[in-house]
Amino acid sequence: MPELRKDPVIGRWVIIATERAKRPDQFGVQPQEPSEKVCPFCEGHESQTPPEIYSIRQKNTPKNAPGWDLRVVPSISPFLRIEGELDRRGKGVYDLMNGVGAHEIIIETNQHIANMSDLSEEQISKVFACYIDRINDLEKDKRFKYALLFKNYSWAAGAGAIKHSRSQLIATPVTPKRVKEELVGARQYYDYHERCVFCDLIRQELEDKSRVVLDIDGYVAITPFASRFPFEVWVLPKKHACDFTTLDPASRLSLAAVMKKVLAKLKKGLNDPAYNYVLHTAPFRRQKAGYWKSIDQDYHWHIEIMPRLTRVAGFEWGTGFYICPLPPENAAKFLREVEA
Amino acid sequence: MSELRRDPIGGRWVIVDTDKPSTPKDYDFEPQIYRNEVCPFCYGNEAMTPPEIDAVRETPTYPNTPGWQVRVVANKFPALQIEGDLDRRGTGMYDMSNGVGAHEVIVETPYHNKDIHELTNQEIENFLSVYCRRSLDLAKDKRFKYIMIFKNFGAPAGASLEHPHTQLIALPMIPKNVAEEIKGAHSYFEYRERCLFCDIIRQESQEKERVVLENRHFISFCPFVSRFPFEIWIMPKNHSAHFCAISAEEIKSLASILKETITKLKNIFPNLSYNYIIHTSPINGDGGSEGYHWHIEFMPKLTRVAGFEWGSGFYVVATPPELAADYLKKA
Repeated sequence: MPELRKDPVIGRWVIIATERAKRPDQFGVQPQEPSEKVCPFCEGHESQTPPEIYSIRQKNTPKNAPGWDLRVVPSISPFLRIEGELDRRGKGVYDLMNGVGAHEIIIETNQHIANMSDLSEEQISKVFACYIDRINDLEKDKRFKYALLFKNYSWAAGAGAIKHSRSQLIATPVTPKRVKEELVGARQYYDYHERCVFCDLIRQELEDKSRVVLDIDGYVAITPFASRFPFEVWVLPKKHACDFTTLDPASRLSLAAVMKKVLAKLKKGLNDPAYNYVLHTAPFRRQKAGYWKSIDQDYHWHIEIMPRLTRVAGFEWGTGFYICPLPPENAAKFLREVEA
Repeated sequence: MSELRRDPIGGRWVIVDTDKPSTPKDYDFEPQIYRNEVCPFCYGNEAMTPPEIDAVRETPTYPNTPGWQVRVVANKFPALQIEGDLDRRGTGMYDMSNGVGAHEVIVETPYHNKDIHELTNQEIENFLSVYCRRSLDLAKDKRFKYIMIFKNFGAPAGASLEHPHTQLIALPMIPKNVAEEIKGAHSYFEYRERCLFCDIIRQESQEKERVVLENRHFISFCPFVSRFPFEIWIMPKNHSAHFCAISAEEIKSLASILKETITKLKNIFPNLSYNYIIHTSPINGDGGSEGYHWHIEFMPKLTRVAGFEWGSGFYVVATPPELAADYLKKA
């Protein structure tokens, strides 16, 4: 019997289709990728990107020249532009405003390495330090409400033809809908229970164990109860914290180790699949920004990793209704057993 | 400067690239390519599917034999099962329920290689009438709250079989996006005592710049807040909450606008894959359908959705709908 499961935070139902369940090794159909072009993100190709915003580089090396470890540049084809005013306005029944925002590319390594799982733990930890610096910097711009950090790995996940490990950061002038839903869901749970929904979720998962992939060093990686996609994995800190930017250097290194392990398990177990991951963290909390007081207690930052093994049909987009062809318990068992 | 546009129905924002808009040839989409394989939906292979639930047979022939024009069967790998009671329960902090529901496949035509625009109007009317008939039949089952009719055409759009078919899923609850859409339409109705969709139709037919086609009963247009490039909505001009209340005359109009719209799209993008979904009111309960207006949302599969869309619920559209409509009008 298939099961309908409800996400406890945002209330989204998914169908866990046990009857049409596939074995883990039946996934992994990848479409034909276009051929690769010259990589603008490699060391020595600095002039092929817009001027850098931020970098971690050797002493006495000039900006936009070799000698860096990690580099942040504006997107060549930005979704949003940094200059200008919002100018909110109406047009008949419709509302619109100017596309003001920031769109940055975080180049995670000077080497031409595609998958983050192949970077060292120290390097991944530097990437996370850079996330924190960039989010904190963008918070100073009062026009922005949220900075969304995400990664598209491989063509099928929207990464284009260039195979160089990178993340993207987009600061938006409105709190994105999906983020708001999660914040509201977490607050409602907190209002009723006076506990953090994610802390409760971690507690139950650790007792139950069937959906736990990893439990090391203050972090837990689980396949969520209401997974939307086969092998969806969430990485959560066991210690409650709403804001990713408060992470100290030691826990940054632990997180790097956990992320490297999870991504390596996906790579090895599922034949290097395309994936997206998204950092879910608290929005900018300026005074009088209209956010509630309990956000420090009710929200819990985490990373959601979504391998792109099935083709998401417009159906899922249109309805918000997901059919997951692999129970998360099976996915977790499979990933636990992958040596990586 | 690109524009941020807000959908008046669900409150979703999209980013529309009005600066350097993409033209049709900028889309590097995965084409739909037919493979040669044994097809369970072709004449003579009726035994490969579960027994038929419904069929259109112009000259009487036996069920589960060739001679049909449209055929409805249960999905061989159903996402939901028809038997059993809804058993909502908790497991710790989580909520769940049995996967009770119906999952049917409507084989639109005996032709393996014909997309909708290659069928005659009569053939399209046939399967549209079957959509309606199946909806009415399943609505009798009080366990179901929503009937979703959708089509995935082409492997890139998620179709696992290439023979043209539509799926129908009857659900024991209202899907989240549908609930949001209905809530949005309802609060607009409460405030203005007018249907939001009727207002949209009025504005679109006045402004004309996003309209693709219009006939007596329907209008097809690229929505102001498109989520996908070349997204098209087809809407009945007469206010109606339920798709299955459609009249025979309206079915004729719908068949014709559907055929012409897809013809235009395929003129621009041969071998295009796509999805469409019929958005309609819930059944068997308080649907709050007064301010709702059924319609079809048509989504060409031209781009790949990435992390930003997943994380934010924001969509980025590289071809403004005004420009897309212009290409379509000329196609």
